[in-house]
Amino acid sequence: MHQGSATPEEIYRFIFGEIDTVPHLEALLLLWNSRPKKWSEEELSQRLFITASAVAEVMQDLVRRNLIAAETSSRQYWYEFRSEEKERLIEGTARAYQSELIRISTLIHSKASSAVREFARAFKITKQKE
Amino acid sequence: MLKIEMFLLGVLAAASITAGVFFLRFWKDTRDLFFLAFAASFIIEGFNRVGLLLSERPNEGSPWIYLVRLLASLLILAAIVHKNYGRNA
Amino acid sequence: MGPAVYILSALTTLLCAVLLLLGYARARKRLLLWSGLCFAGLTVSNLLVFVDLIELPAMDLYLWRLGTAVIAMALLLYGLIWEGR
Repeated sequence: MHQGSATPEEIYRFIFGEIDTVPHLEALLLLWNSRPKKWSEEELSQRLFITASAVAEVMQDLVRRNLIAAETSSRQYWYEFRSEEKERLIEGTARAYQSELIRISTLIHSKASSAVREFARAFKITKQKE
Repeated sequence: MLKIEMFLLGVLAAASITAGVFFLRFWKDTRDLFFLAFAASFIIEGFNRVGLLLSERPNEGSPWIYLVRLLASLLILAAIVHKNYGRNA
Repeated sequence: MGPAVYILSALTTLLCAVLLLLGYARARKRLLLWSGLCFAGLTVSNLLVFVDLIELPAMDLYLWRLGTAVIAMALLLYGLIWEGR
């Protein structure tokens, strides 16, 4: 397993592979920085300056990527330890975002929308990872 | 050809070409040839519909028309095969 | 040869529909739902062309062939227009 903090390349690959939009990243980092605090969708909507329905979609995407935990009945979300690897990557991303917000935002915006990428991915039925 | 049939063919032609243009944008955004194939498929099918408009109805059995449809289908199948077994799969 | 092309076309669109709808079940992106439904509709349209070409039914299927294709393309355009966010 890796030791020490995440390298820039690992952070780049993490953001490119797992983070769909800037709100996704800010939501993840918000939960990470405030862990293990549980957040409701209204609180998140106010903190992140996005609508409640956008919050729901963002948080469900993060849950599906196994980055955060959720309780569907009360619609609450919080950061929960998943793996050493993820801790390293998120911690590194949090640090990087503090110092290089514009570069990271540009990186995220340069990705084609995740819907488009998922469209292409839907046709990939052989085993190699895309 | 009835007016409604010509109208629907026109709608189909416009819709297919528009969808093709969207796929062109996806190709530009992702640099994935997969989308170029879909774009080509929809655009040529769009023009195929225009071809139908200009001839007797109904004649999807005419060779020109169905060969273009064949090409459109093969483009999509080739794109799927390439995505799974091609160089950049 | 002619009718067979529409069977191939139907199989192609069916494959696309299945893969896209499975993709939607996995990733929940609306674009996959609408495009999957589009290809499902195009499959129906292709099958109707085939049936019409081999002259099976007594009735005229032309409007049904066109109509299903138009609805299918409308679903696709709806998904394409609203996917970018």
